[in-house]
Amino acid sequence: MATLSELTSVLRSKNAGALLCTLDLMFDDVAVYERVRDSGVINQELIASLYQVSQNEVSIIPYDVAMAIKVTVPRLVPSGSFGDTDVYGAQQHGPLLTIEIPD
Amino acid sequence: MSDSLSMMATTGLLGYGFGEEAFRHGLEMDLDFIAADAGSMDPGPHYLGEGVPFVSRKAIKRDIGLMLEGALEKGVPMLIGSAGGGGSAPQVALVREVIEEIAAERDYHFKMAVIHADQSKDYLHEKLRRGKIEPLGPIDDATPETINETHRVVAMMGVEPFQQALKDGAQVVLAGRATDASIYSAIPLMKGYDPGLVWHLSKIIECAGAVAVPKSGQDCMIGILKPDHFLVVPAHPDSRCTRMSVAAHTLYENPSPYHLEEPDGTVVTVDSTYEQADDRTVKVAGSRFEKSNRYTVKLEGVRQAGYRTVFVAGARDPGLIAIIDDYIESCRARVRRDAAALDIGEDQYRLSIHVYGKSGTMASREPIKDAMPHEIGILAEVLADDEEISKAVMAKARLALLHSDFPGRKCISGNLAIPFSPSDIPVGYTYEFNLWHIMEIDDPLEPFPIEMVDL
Repeated sequence: MATLSELTSVLRSKNAGALLCTLDLMFDDVAVYERVRDSGVINQELIASLYQVSQNEVSIIPYDVAMAIKVTVPRLVPSGSFGDTDVYGAQQHGPLLTIEIPD
Repeated sequence: MSDSLSMMATTGLLGYGFGEEAFRHGLEMDLDFIAADAGSMDPGPHYLGEGVPFVSRKAIKRDIGLMLEGALEKGVPMLIGSAGGGGSAPQVALVREVIEEIAAERDYHFKMAVIHADQSKDYLHEKLRRGKIEPLGPIDDATPETINETHRVVAMMGVEPFQQALKDGAQVVLAGRATDASIYSAIPLMKGYDPGLVWHLSKIIECAGAVAVPKSGQDCMIGILKPDHFLVVPAHPDSRCTRMSVAAHTLYENPSPYHLEEPDGTVVTVDSTYEQADDRTVKVAGSRFEKSNRYTVKLEGVRQAGYRTVFVAGARDPGLIAIIDDYIESCRARVRRDAAALDIGEDQYRLSIHVYGKSGTMASREPIKDAMPHEIGILAEVLADDEEISKAVMAKARLALLHSDFPGRKCISGNLAIPFSPSDIPVGYTYEFNLWHIMEIDDPLEPFPIEMVDL
């Protein structure tokens, strides 16, 4: 087992517009990328539970050409609305860092 | 169509700056035009609401000054989109004033088009009545009330207003809110280049130095279109593009790297190929453009959300930190009672209390619920209908947080370390996005009036 913190070269979050938060898991080794992509761990159920959204609001797109997995969820509130804690959405990746991927 | 067209993107955001050395190298590359995007909604609704940029006027003047000098020297068009950050009337007016100032100072003469992107409520009501406005993502349907309460709203133009301005003889195009890629696609599409390649290239270079390695953030980017592929290369001879830096770029700030929406269709990169043409240059081919059967522009609108006052303090008492969630709930109840005594009802304000060290970054999405840090930071925020109520409620919230009792309390002279005097910080009237929709239009020029100016 290894965590996404250990396996990714970049793990970032950012707004995709004012309503969505998009998370990029990027790798610098194709074998590691394929291991994570094919593990089935990064699925809609996991992301929905981590980000407290319903599964049909989760988008997960593997992007082979750049060895990346893109995950998109709705923001908690629109960027800058009352109660927002992260206007740019740049620090919402934390819960993914400790996710474990089997060998 | 000639067999090659070259463009330079000076910066990913006008006012963020670019290296003069990179720029001068770029100018020598037989360019057809230079351009910069000035816009972003990342900094949130405030800037569109107030109609101000999030970079300094000085920084805008520096970047535009160099670009004007280069464009006039080479006799090529210069295009700016989303002027002033949000591309609204006061933001466009500020950048226009800067350009006019530079022209006067340096005795520059050219024809400029100023393209407006603000939308009137009457126009939006008419579109709404005809069912032409729909949500772009998870937001409520727009209603007449949504439009009525909007403080300022812009629409994002596509390539057509830029093209019209150029046909009318403009050398400099200063546009309000525009899609980032339209700024770069307007001229190549007029000249007949393949729309899939044009739009994909534009998407990549609109962030300028973001695809350069090493990442200085100060590089300018050159895009070269050919009939069946395009090339991306940094202007500065010491930096380069890699296959990976270019391929990865379509991930950035988009929900999908394969489908990128534009007003009249979708850029599809599913079959795009990326290859290293030389040490510094990446060659891309295979990108497609799927034309939509309707033309839609994105609307970005904000409404006033109230007057904000904030308060920041620290707490280091372990007994308080252990029960902080319950403590905050009891403080909220006290604020309700104290505000009611001032005839301030619960419907007149909103109070939010963030606890840094526990959930300040992710709020209710924070998965670690039982953290026991040695200190915490408390950020309280009040949004109220007006300044007086906002300040009055914050004063009561500060009192409650500082001086309420809790079980086992030893620190009876005060529960918080308050770093500033005055402790309560008035932030001013704030805004929130209330229109994040798409609007179908029949004529791509209709919502974007063009004004020609002779300088």
